[in-house]
Amino acid sequence: MALHSSRPDARTDLVHGTLDMLILRTLQWGPQHGYAIGHTIRTQSSDVLQVEAGSLYPALQRLARKGWVTAKWGQTTANQRAKFYRITPEGRKQLLREQSRWTELVNAISGVMNPSPAPGTGE
Amino acid sequence: MSIVAWLKRLKPPRLDDEDFQEEIRTHLAIAADERMAAGADPKTARQASLKDFGNVTLTTEAARRVWTPWWLEALRDQANDVRYAIRALAKDPAFSLTVVGVLALGIGLNAAVFTMLKGMALAPLAGVEGSARLHEVFGETSSGRPVPLSYSDYQYLRDHDHAFSGLMGSTLATLGLGRGRSSRSLSGELVTGNYFQVLGVRAGLGRTLLPSDEVASGGNPVVVLSDGLWRHDFNADPDIVGKAVEINHYPLTVVGVADPAFHGTIVSYDDEVFIPVTMTQQLGFTFAGPKTTQGYLRPGTSLADAAGQIDALWKTLSRNRPLSDDTLRLRLAPFWNAPGSPQSYVLPTLVVLSAMGLLVLAIACANIAGLVLVRALSRRGEMAVRLALGASRARIVRLLIVENLVLAVPGAVLGVLLAARGLPVLVVYADWLAAPQRLFLNVDVDRLVVGFAVLVACGSALVFGFIPALQGSRVALVSVINQDASPRGASRGHLRSALVVAQVAVSILLLVGSGLVTRSFDAARAAKPGFDPSHVTSIWVDVKRNGYGEAQGRAFFRQLLEAARADGVTESATLAAYNPMNMIETGAQRAAIEGYEPRRNEDVAFITNTVGPDYFRTLRIGLLAGRAFEDRDDEKAAPVVIVNATFAGRFWGGAAKAIGQRIRVEEGDWRTVVGVAADVKYLRINESPRPYVYLPFLQSYRPGMNLHTRGPSPVKELVARACALVAAFDANLPIDAKPLSERIAGSLVFLHLAATMLFIFGVAGMALAAMGTYGLVSFTVKQSTHEIGIRLALGASGLSVVGGFLRRGLRLGAIGATAGLVAALGLSRLLSSMLFGVSTTDVVTFARALAIVLGGVAVATLVAAWRAARTSPVRALRHQ
Repeated sequence: MALHSSRPDARTDLVHGTLDMLILRTLQWGPQHGYAIGHTIRTQSSDVLQVEAGSLYPALQRLARKGWVTAKWGQTTANQRAKFYRITPEGRKQLLREQSRWTELVNAISGVMNPSPAPGTGE
Repeated sequence: MSIVAWLKRLKPPRLDDEDFQEEIRTHLAIAADERMAAGADPKTARQASLKDFGNVTLTTEAARRVWTPWWLEALRDQANDVRYAIRALAKDPAFSLTVVGVLALGIGLNAAVFTMLKGMALAPLAGVEGSARLHEVFGETSSGRPVPLSYSDYQYLRDHDHAFSGLMGSTLATLGLGRGRSSRSLSGELVTGNYFQVLGVRAGLGRTLLPSDEVASGGNPVVVLSDGLWRHDFNADPDIVGKAVEINHYPLTVVGVADPAFHGTIVSYDDEVFIPVTMTQQLGFTFAGPKTTQGYLRPGTSLADAAGQIDALWKTLSRNRPLSDDTLRLRLAPFWNAPGSPQSYVLPTLVVLSAMGLLVLAIACANIAGLVLVRALSRRGEMAVRLALGASRARIVRLLIVENLVLAVPGAVLGVLLAARGLPVLVVYADWLAAPQRLFLNVDVDRLVVGFAVLVACGSALVFGFIPALQGSRVALVSVINQDASPRGASRGHLRSALVVAQVAVSILLLVGSGLVTRSFDAARAAKPGFDPSHVTSIWVDVKRNGYGEAQGRAFFRQLLEAARADGVTESATLAAYNPMNMIETGAQRAAIEGYEPRRNEDVAFITNTVGPDYFRTLRIGLLAGRAFEDRDDEKAAPVVIVNATFAGRFWGGAAKAIGQRIRVEEGDWRTVVGVAADVKYLRINESPRPYVYLPFLQSYRPGMNLHTRGPSPVKELVARACALVAAFDANLPIDAKPLSERIAGSLVFLHLAATMLFIFGVAGMALAAMGTYGLVSFTVKQSTHEIGIRLALGASGLSVVGGFLRRGLRLGAIGATAGLVAALGLSRLLSSMLFGVSTTDVVTFARALAIVLGGVAVATLVAAWRAARTSPVRALRHQ
């Protein structure tokens, strides 16, 4: 159990990093509260990505700790009290970094999955 | 700023719990609202959103963890583990106390040996900062014999060298303090003026010696006392500075008292006075200048650099003066390896002792591993619950290891206490063996020793705790839940067997090692050293202590010898400069042999002794050819010499051929060989035969001589008579009287100490191994109670049950013993330097070790099995 306490390894970094990227991306269009973030990710992924609250809220704390988002209490359109998260300039930079890394990864994987003949090797 | 405020500032940022709970509540509210908007009733909506959210507590935990630095959490976990371990161990005091006790014994022995090792090599000189970094400069002849630098060479080096921050010199000397019969013999050092400055030793009172105290021969009649001498012999007189004390009959002015912690630079000696080396002649010594040259290398100077610089200086020096035919090279050695020093003799023995100590520790570890293993079995329930609740195996292993570390700390503390209590006992014992020689053993149990003990204890905890912890964490949940107590896990049984085998093997190794040394000690005591010390006195008289010159001294010794011969109780009497087997390397002298051309690099130098007429008859040393010294061999007669059999054999091919040949010692006269004596042990009982030269005392004056008398009466009586003879001539002459046999016993002090310690190690190791084996065997038997019950119920006799266990026990014992014997055969060779008269494969020692160990295993198994066989079948079966 306490193994969580040890320095996060590369594997968890990847998982965390992806979730962080999704959250930051969601916040790009304006501040949102936790529930809405989860909802947005779910609907935009056509219900494929179900972000559990148990991962979402610790992730938000992590982003806040790193200074990529700030939080502020406010009112929803339905006049509910809620905590709204806003992306910071630092957070935007991080999002760009994550995004380019992600694109690279996706390209790499699709390169393997759908190989096209490499230029110069053909007869 | 108050401490509290300061601590608050230190506190890392953390999760705002209230705020977080509020956030979760709003999340749930929004989710419920949405569900209600979709048509659900409020209660179902709330429940559904709560279910959807998942575990609130775990989420909060995870969020909290985001804010805690990983190290802080690890630390908190660790503290929890320690707290838990202490609680668990307190519940099982029998286990905890046994482990701590066994560990303390193992650590204690090792800490004691380490303390001695520290006192020889790591911090050899008390009161001298960084004494391990001292280096010695010495000359070496072309054949590799170390020789001291001459005084002028020393001075040249001191003034021109840049590799050392300073070079000081000193010579150990036995001196007489005070006048007449009340005078006391003490060890002191004749030192160069910069001695205290180079060592960085301060004065406790007055001043130390200074370079200005080393100006002219005889010109510096001053002395620095040791703190011990000042307190014991001068009642800590605060006005001692400026007073005169008489040493070797010569008045010296006290200029200061050295730092209380300082005991001189000769390991194991308690040096009590420090006198400028320019005073040697005034104190009656024939040598001039210091015999050892030591200093600290400058920071950043490597040994090789320093050797290069010293070498270059030496070449310059050699060019400027006539070279002797004995070409010298300068050598450098670290303090622990300084040639001829006590530490360089003792260190190999200490290394052997350390190895034996580690063997005892290995047995202790195996012993504790057994206990931990058994305890782990009884905790399978607890472990199963932990696993069932989701703890990882790594987590459980960590917990068990923390438990072992918690045991290691008190083990280390107790071990250090044991060493701190035990070493003084050993010192008193050594003092008693060495009396009247005063010893100073630097065996202070300091921070270094404590650090060593803690390190070894924690290392041991990992060794004895790791494998059992791995095993303990591997629990089959189902079998525990089914309350299955029988040890079905075959691997655990294997591990127990392996521990028995290991303990047996290591104890064989230990018993063989300590047995070999003990037996060689017995052999050394019983050995024929080539002379017969029984019924012989040894009365040491040093006439320079009473200010005698050479003429007066010659007359005195001649008269003393005549009186001793005339005494009714003596059969024969003689004089000799050195006792045989006196341990002290007296320094070889160069010699020339007529008609013998030394080979290149051959170093013709021998130890010489000055003896009187009847020497060989009094000590019963055989004469192989020619005659002994007689009264006619005086200063007016032709110079004569007697050599030993090895000498005659080496240069002339036999005793008979040696007679009539001529040799010359140093720059003296050519002497004719008149006799060849049988070899004896000159320095140590375990020395190899060496050439030796005897000079007649009437032709070679020495102010300090031993009077030997032999007679049929008890030796105590002879000693008293001989003392009375000396007193009749000069009642004020200090004497040191003993039977010769006691002086020789002194030469065995170190072997004696080593044998004693090894015996303690052997007993401790054997006791631990027997205990451990018994514990493991009886546990195995207990685990088989069920099986025994069934077998007894089916009609097996108690005897056959016992027999079965005994066979199993002895089989393990035999495997361990074989491994131990093989290892011992391989390793005992390392002991050869310490052994005398016993081969490294001594059958008696090996057989004895084997018998003791297998006997121990058999007894342990028998007792355990017998108890099991006596339980009634019904009770055994109902046991579960």
